[in-house]
Amino acid sequence: MSGGGHDAALRVALAGNPNVGKTSLFNELTGARHKVGNYAGVTVETREGAVAARWQPVRAITVIDLPGTYSLTPMSEDEAVAFRCLHGEGEGGPPGLVVLVIDAANLARNLYLAVQLCELGRPLIIALNMMDVAAAAGVPVDAAALSRCLGVPVIPTVARTGEGVAALVKCIGSFGHELWDMSEVRARLFASELPAAMVGHEPARARWLLAAQAGGTLELTGASAAERAALAGVPEAQVEEMAAAQVIARYAEVDRVLAAIGHGAGDRAPAMDRSARIDRVLTHRVWGLLIFLLVMAGLFQSIFSWAEPLMGVIEGVIAWLSGHVKEALGPGLFTDLLSEGVIAGVGNVLVFVPQIALLFLFIGLLEDTGYMARAAFLIDRLMARVGLHGKAFVPLLSGYACAIPAILGTRTISSFRDRLVTIMMIPFMSCSARLPVYVLLISALFDADATVGPFSQASLILLLMYALSTVSALAVGAIYKRTILKSPTPPLVLELPPYRLPRVRNTLLQVYDRTADFVRDAGTVILAMTVVLWALLSFPKPPEPAVQVDAIEVTSPEQVSAIEYSVGGRVGKAMEPVLTPMGQDFRMGIAILGSFSAREVFVSTLGLVYGIEADDEDNVPLRKALKEAQGPDGRPRYSPLSALALMVFFVYACQCMSTLAVVRRETRSWRWPALMFVSMTVLAYVMAVLVFQIGRALGY
Amino acid sequence: MPSSLADLRPGARARVTAVEGGGGLTLRLLEMGFVPGTVVALVKVAPFGDPLEFQVRGCHISLRAAEARCIRAVST
Repeated sequence: MSGGGHDAALRVALAGNPNVGKTSLFNELTGARHKVGNYAGVTVETREGAVAARWQPVRAITVIDLPGTYSLTPMSEDEAVAFRCLHGEGEGGPPGLVVLVIDAANLARNLYLAVQLCELGRPLIIALNMMDVAAAAGVPVDAAALSRCLGVPVIPTVARTGEGVAALVKCIGSFGHELWDMSEVRARLFASELPAAMVGHEPARARWLLAAQAGGTLELTGASAAERAALAGVPEAQVEEMAAAQVIARYAEVDRVLAAIGHGAGDRAPAMDRSARIDRVLTHRVWGLLIFLLVMAGLFQSIFSWAEPLMGVIEGVIAWLSGHVKEALGPGLFTDLLSEGVIAGVGNVLVFVPQIALLFLFIGLLEDTGYMARAAFLIDRLMARVGLHGKAFVPLLSGYACAIPAILGTRTISSFRDRLVTIMMIPFMSCSARLPVYVLLISALFDADATVGPFSQASLILLLMYALSTVSALAVGAIYKRTILKSPTPPLVLELPPYRLPRVRNTLLQVYDRTADFVRDAGTVILAMTVVLWALLSFPKPPEPAVQVDAIEVTSPEQVSAIEYSVGGRVGKAMEPVLTPMGQDFRMGIAILGSFSAREVFVSTLGLVYGIEADDEDNVPLRKALKEAQGPDGRPRYSPLSALALMVFFVYACQCMSTLAVVRRETRSWRWPALMFVSMTVLAYVMAVLVFQIGRALGY
Repeated sequence: MPSSLADLRPGARARVTAVEGGGGLTLRLLEMGFVPGTVVALVKVAPFGDPLEFQVRGCHISLRAAEARCIRAVST
């Protein structure tokens, strides 16, 4: 039963449609203790945990939580993972037993997956969940009759309260006794024809591969060369016809079961009555859109500013810690490594935690209540113009606050190509870390009192940067969608599930999982990069420390600060010929290099170059230094035009190693972050040069 | 007389006769319950005119008009 050999636990796969309480049941069964597993080549996660002792299982039982799917036909990554797990391609071989969670209030849809699992032939137990909802909606289900019809045990449960879970564990424990007879159902299903070339293959697998061939998703199935060769010999029209006939045969079987247990074929949707009333407001053409805007504003506000105090606390603790380390260890190289490399690196990771946790809390609650599907329904028309699914909207919006949580948030998008397009778009959204850079440059180099009509020049320039970033993100998405990530606009085909109260415990568990995953996986890369960057900007040390305490006045051009002496500083200087066409000098080059750890670090690095201890809140000395800095010819070193060029550079440049680390984590390769970094840097450079050169040609 | 589900008016019902279009979309629509013989109702149209919300086999499914056009149907 356990394919692993060294693992005596009975492996049970938990399958089910989305929104049927499968996660609740998993958390009940395992006491919410689990590890997250992955399948090679896909980004969908499965969770695995042992059945908790409180259920007194008669033997060790491991539960594998498959992704929620409507079907096992491998058309999307979710279904491919379920398909491959059930065929024993995961760690530990095929599961000994499958538990299917179905929504008792919606048998007409849920039984389709049940029929597919009967087809598979592996021992199956049905957990007939939400019996309370079904009874309240006036469609109680006769579990015994359903069990007789399908030939498998059916256990009524209410996962939300834990009712029926003990009976389910008992039934799983009795595995091995003769409880199953799916032969009747299987005989009817396998009566539908298979192409001659596929006869002789295992019948359920042959049917699924045929469907994958019809849908053009064979690469998701891990089909063997022999299987591919057999499929390649079948004419396309025949493949499509037979795949469609299978689906129709399965639904005929569902209708037979429904009739046998005295149910209608789902012409009505009793479980949706209340939700349809709520939707009269929430998807109304006026009120619906207004509420949508309010919800999105709330979500945006939460990650943009509610996270702020928490981030401040984390930064404070990091600064306090780093100060104490400096004090305790005394000045020295090791102290610097610890305080400016390691502790700062840990800070660079932890500072994202509030935003990530808040975004996942919001997304979790919106999905759990059923509102997320409505949001996608409302906004799909606009997203479809770019070629994306309505579900891409929330991650894109979150990008204005921070790309890190936004990229993690793309996990709600089911097609991998579309997920990639969205991930490649997100860093163009003007994130909150760019704001300090814009603010410094605008306030240093533009006239604070200048107005255009009723607006100040400064606010218009800021608005321009945000508009530029939005337009660019959409354009880039459209370009990727039509070139290297070419794929048709994904079909919407989206269930609008019944509204439910969110299960806060499940959501919090998910928030914890994803945040911990970020800290563990992307965090290590960010930490390593921080240390490397610190070393680049610190070594070699100048012969004698370039002491510039209290250097409030403008640094003279000959003076060399410690940072200029470092490798990073030298690279910055070597880059000057490249920087001149975009109106920048080597000092800005060093600051751009430094900002790679996080964009807002641009400000403090520039402060270091000018020998000024920059303060987050008050950049007055630095602003003054920038404004008054003169070139060798005595003319101002920076102009409003060069500031504009630099801001445009920041709109496009992927100056954020944390983003790159997260993209690597999410795409499981360095290829995409490398493409992102190179393409964005080139684009940023070209755009900044264009702005500066055209501006100069126009006489600014 | 609707010829496809995209031609329904909100509140109207129709019986599916065939799913066209081929490839993955046909299969997906069939699997979501739009099989020939099934009665489907158009519940509402999204504010920007697309997508559409249908009731099929006990639940509500949203499809774009372009997808609904692949599903041939006759009035009940």
